[in-house]
Amino acid sequence: MAGRAGQKKYINLYIAIAILLLFPLFLPRFYIYLISIILLYGLLATSLNIVLGYGGIFQFHHAVFYGVGAYGIALVLTKTGFPPWIGFIIGPLISAALSLIMGLICIRLSKLYFGMLQISLGSLVWAIVYRWYSFTGGDDGIHGIPIPELLQSPNGAYYFTLIITVISMWLMYKIIKSPFGSVLQGIRDNPVRSEMIGVNVKKHQLLGLVIAGFFAGVAGMVFVVVDNTVFPDMMFWTFSLEVLIMCLLGGWFSFLGPMLGAAVVVALRTFVSTFTVYWALVLGIIMILVIFFLPNGILGYVEEIIKRRSQTGSTIKG
Amino acid sequence: MDFIYSIISPQVLSQILVGLSRTVILFIVSSGMSLILGVLRIPNVAHGSLYMIGAYMAFSVSHFFGGSDIGFWLALIGAPLGVALVSLVAERGLFQYLYEREHLMLLLLTFAVSLVFGDLVKIVWGAAYKSVPVPQVFQGFVLLFGNLPFPRYNTFLLVIGPLVAIVLWLIVNKTKIGKISRAAAVDREMVGAVGINVSWVFGIVFVIGCLLAGLGGALVSPTVSVTLGMDHTLIIETFLIVTIGGLGNIWGALLGALIFGLTQSLGILIWPQFGIIFPYAAVVVVLLFRPTGLLKSTW
Amino acid sequence: MLRVESVTKSFSGFMAVKNANLDVQQGEIVAVIGPNGAGKTTLFNLITGILKPDNGRVFFKDEDITGLPPYEVCKKRISRSFQIVNVFPRLTVFENVQVSVLSQKKKTWNLFTPSNRLVVEETVEILNNVGLIDKKDRTSALLSHGDRKLLEIAIALGGNPEFLILDEPTAGMSPEETSRCIDLIKQLSDKLGLTILFCEHDMELVFAIAQRIMVMVRGTTIIQDTCNEVRCCKEVQDAYLGGSEVCSV
Repeated sequence: MAGRAGQKKYINLYIAIAILLLFPLFLPRFYIYLISIILLYGLLATSLNIVLGYGGIFQFHHAVFYGVGAYGIALVLTKTGFPPWIGFIIGPLISAALSLIMGLICIRLSKLYFGMLQISLGSLVWAIVYRWYSFTGGDDGIHGIPIPELLQSPNGAYYFTLIITVISMWLMYKIIKSPFGSVLQGIRDNPVRSEMIGVNVKKHQLLGLVIAGFFAGVAGMVFVVVDNTVFPDMMFWTFSLEVLIMCLLGGWFSFLGPMLGAAVVVALRTFVSTFTVYWALVLGIIMILVIFFLPNGILGYVEEIIKRRSQTGSTIKG
Repeated sequence: MDFIYSIISPQVLSQILVGLSRTVILFIVSSGMSLILGVLRIPNVAHGSLYMIGAYMAFSVSHFFGGSDIGFWLALIGAPLGVALVSLVAERGLFQYLYEREHLMLLLLTFAVSLVFGDLVKIVWGAAYKSVPVPQVFQGFVLLFGNLPFPRYNTFLLVIGPLVAIVLWLIVNKTKIGKISRAAAVDREMVGAVGINVSWVFGIVFVIGCLLAGLGGALVSPTVSVTLGMDHTLIIETFLIVTIGGLGNIWGALLGALIFGLTQSLGILIWPQFGIIFPYAAVVVVLLFRPTGLLKSTW
Repeated sequence: MLRVESVTKSFSGFMAVKNANLDVQQGEIVAVIGPNGAGKTTLFNLITGILKPDNGRVFFKDEDITGLPPYEVCKKRISRSFQIVNVFPRLTVFENVQVSVLSQKKKTWNLFTPSNRLVVEETVEILNNVGLIDKKDRTSALLSHGDRKLLEIAIALGGNPEFLILDEPTAGMSPEETSRCIDLIKQLSDKLGLTILFCEHDMELVFAIAQRIMVMVRGTTIIQDTCNEVRCCKEVQDAYLGGSEVCSV
């Protein structure tokens, strides 16, 4: 039974991936770009959700790891003579390393103080990037990054994005469903009890942070491939809050919630801004409504309905 | 006066004074946020928007009176009151229903509100830069310590700062609402149990806190160009100030604002290119040694 | 097996535990009794490492475990349940216990094996023991109070303990649930050979299952002896009579 249900679940997934693979055949270039952005923002939001929704950590400044990953690859490609693939590896690794360092500093603080210290450290990184003209390009950022030829065409970038996103999402799903993922959720629910069953809470949280930072760096690396630019606003704190919004909108207790949230935010910004400049107003109002009426996000709400249906179904049968 | 300059160079002294005037603005805004954090436990991101709205309202009032001195003084009174009104609507209409939610939700709710406020400002005042004229009395420079030129308006700020601190001290320590809110900060159920309408206490504290944001915006308006996005850097600075001060502690906010203002102004002197990293670095250092802030937090 | 030697803990001047002594032999069931606020829970927190004592030492199997963090104490195979229900509210009953077993088996750093295939047998066995197997897929936040108290014990058992500390295991339970719980505790002692230290307000229950009793008043241990001795002891009667005027027992 469980096996068949699992297969059915995967069939939906395969169909979704197949459709995504076919998109470049009939969709115009603009939409391909848009879907790439949705995928990579979704990847970023999902990586945040590992520590936020599943880990219960107030990761307020996640965008720093995204930005650092992007700058990592951008600097390798523009300032060094290393082969490009080194950049693709170094970007996420730098993010993971920074995540470890910041984690070691912040982890002893609880909840809100953790978030505040992280914002502070993140702003420090942002300020350095923002001002170090000779190295990072300062507030202009770096444009026209020379990425490998294969990935230069829109379709090449799109397929790269899709493949990396699918692999990363699959890895993150495995991690969430692994014993480590279970423990992380246990810590979220009850850190004191977790210690009492023999879990070294801080060490597990730290690994969670490193994983989240690594995949944020992957998202940053993908952005460089899609957009060929980096700029300091990628790691400004407002963008971190935007990623938080994606998690909230989609639902941070559902694995695909943040991906859906990313799609909603990107779609809103693109389509609402074609007929009004006040898209932030629309987003703000939608968020307020979600917080009031769907505190578990859109996907969380859908899952709740499905659960309720199946439960009433089974009671009728019983 | 030579005595002073033998200890400290005029350049440094003048930067310290600049830093102190910045401290005044930061203190006024962050004391309001600290008040709200301490009593209501809301990390209010919209606080920065209210500061911006304060500045825009000050522009409108001042503009209405043709940039005259009387306009400035009326702006100084009117803008905070206008902001207080806006915050009253937001508090009664939205926030009061969500006090029991977790911090993360409150943070995002206030961020959503700040997005709305940001666009409302764009609708009302447009996207162009606005400037508020410095009133006649405060134009030009005074010579401090013999021959150090210092803007008159900043001198005015240096007077206003302690004044606000004293008034705030009186409100918190000598008035009934201050005492109730201090009690509510420690134990809100207890305050409810003795028959006080906690919801209204929270409402009033929220409005006072936001009024301070508005006052900060009005005071800063003649020294900067009033523009969209002026809330972005300020809100982050305010958050960090209340954190290093100790969440909910108003005097911590004063201390934090001092650290922030002075490291900012002196940092520019030490290393012009990276001046902006000094305050952030100072915050990191403080939190490394005092993880819950310098003064006692009410949390 | 467990030896607590003149342990002291104060919170900003208030002595919560003052010169407490305790001795538990292997295989015993020992009860700690005393009025509310006597420091029973604080004593348990000191033993399990949630709090660090100001003074005194805690030995387990002649090994000094004073001041070890809780996760290290747990590795010595000491488990505890909590007085106030302290489960993982968003996880299912099964997952609650499974996490505990995973941790005991040192599998928490495993990143890529799906956990739904791991330690299933062990978890099911524990759920069978405490009688929660029928409810294994419920979200634990939605359980009844009595069931959550049982889940408390089940989580503690997940650590495969030799020494089990139960903080008011039956508090808030209905009479039927209480008698079920008594059976469970006896069973754990008889079948699994666990050494059990618990505290409880229900005197009937204490006398029904405890082999020895320790009495705690105002942070101090005043007597530790067999049930009958304690029942007759004048100091205890005084303490309880005196205590009942200030706080309900």
